[in-house]
Amino acid sequence: MEVADRLRLATAPGPGVPPAFEDLFRREYQRVVAIAHRVVADADEAEDVAQDVFVSFYRKHPAEAHYAAPWLYAAAAHTALNVLRSRERRAKRDVVEAHRREDQAPDPAQAAETAETASEVRAALARLPDRSAALLALRYSGLSYEEIAAALGLRHSSIGTLLRRAEDAFRREVAR
Amino acid sequence: MSDIEDMLSVPEPKVDTERALARLRARVDAERIAPVNRGASGPRRIAVNVWVRALAAAATIALVATLLTASGLAETILTIFEPKQLVAVPITVGDLSGAPSFDAYGTLTWTAQPKPYDVPDKTTAARESGMTVLVPSDLPAGIGAARYGVMPKTTATFTFSAEKTKQAAAAQQRTPPPMPANIDGSKLFITGGPAVVAYYDDGTKPSGPTGATGASPFTGMPKLIVAQGKPPVVQSDGVTVEQLQSYLLAQPGISPQLAAQIRAIKDPSSTLPVPIPVDMATSKKVTVQGVEGIFVGDSTGLGSAVIWQKDGIVYGVAGTLTEQQVLAVANSLR
Repeated sequence: MEVADRLRLATAPGPGVPPAFEDLFRREYQRVVAIAHRVVADADEAEDVAQDVFVSFYRKHPAEAHYAAPWLYAAAAHTALNVLRSRERRAKRDVVEAHRREDQAPDPAQAAETAETASEVRAALARLPDRSAALLALRYSGLSYEEIAAALGLRHSSIGTLLRRAEDAFRREVAR
Repeated sequence: MSDIEDMLSVPEPKVDTERALARLRARVDAERIAPVNRGASGPRRIAVNVWVRALAAAATIALVATLLTASGLAETILTIFEPKQLVAVPITVGDLSGAPSFDAYGTLTWTAQPKPYDVPDKTTAARESGMTVLVPSDLPAGIGAARYGVMPKTTATFTFSAEKTKQAAAAQQRTPPPMPANIDGSKLFITGGPAVVAYYDDGTKPSGPTGATGASPFTGMPKLIVAQGKPPVVQSDGVTVEQLQSYLLAQPGISPQLAAQIRAIKDPSSTLPVPIPVDMATSKKVTVQGVEGIFVGDSTGLGSAVIWQKDGIVYGVAGTLTEQQVLAVANSLR
């Protein structure tokens, strides 16, 4: 390559991300992180989820799609739930492994004490059916019934009932 | 309801959207992820995009330069920007791509276009540029012979247009602040260069393929680049800097962080901001050729650069070299 070409190249950025996608990212990123954060309760993990969600949208959908925002919200909830579930599986394995090594049964008093901790709450959320957990994640991230219906492909009129059922199931799981 | 709200409550996450966008852009670049609708548009569209973006980037630099204005003296032609020192301004990739194109605010007319060309040797480069061309006496082992390019002096006139701004904003469904009446129709005269660039390829390897298609940012990049040039100068036919600054920094797409960085420059009329892409590089002050310069290291540790200004000329040395090597080359320029 000649010097002149190199000079031109040096000043030319790559094709990069289209402006429409950047606008979408700027508009929705915070909300997508908030949804994921509500599920995983870890800011860094939530941002990792948001990155994956935006990349997979970028691969498959045009930024101008009318369904972009609800798609991102639903994907944030589902991806975060997957992260949460694999984290729970890992934690369970670790506990079993630790007990086996120490040859010692778990202390029931201590277990009761920690039952109400945040990690137990997340474990309960992880045990819920996907749709119920996603409903809770979206609702408690501040989405309206209308937005939840669009994100999860449900009828607006059924959101209230489904949400109440999800809340009851969640309480049962936490109390378990 | 509220018991669940309590159970699921988390502290509000602090997000830096621009940094996150930069991270996504880096991933898209690194993994060469194509958006869904790009395949259909074909290579021609991509080529056009590159140039549109190149223009936008160049315009952004001109825009930043334009912001660095000082006095509001009502002279007919006012030199509002003539850099005598450099300052590092951290930017994110989002800052560059998000900044509005200069094109949207008026008409840029090149009176002398930036047309770089190759010259056979240093003597020709010096004659064509009218500058004394400095060459390094201390070169790391394995560096081949230099090849020279010259960028002649480039001049352009920019005329602000409130009407054009309105149309561009409408097309993007954005609402920028209204252009003040005295900015509408006012002119900026922008001069850049001349500049001389010397390329040194790795003497142990033949020249690689072009950089445009390589996976690494260093593919096709020469081992060492030594550049020198007259810094850009911006003159105005009367518009005051305070007006320009407050108007331009309030545009959609200029991040508050970038605006604050630019506002913080103490002597804006004589300070050239050196954009440092914070997601990919780090910078620090160094002493080079007896003056203060800025060292930039890329986060991969593969590349280094140093830039400084001395006797009215901006110099830069960059390469796939270590910090020590780059500084040694810079200090050996005679």
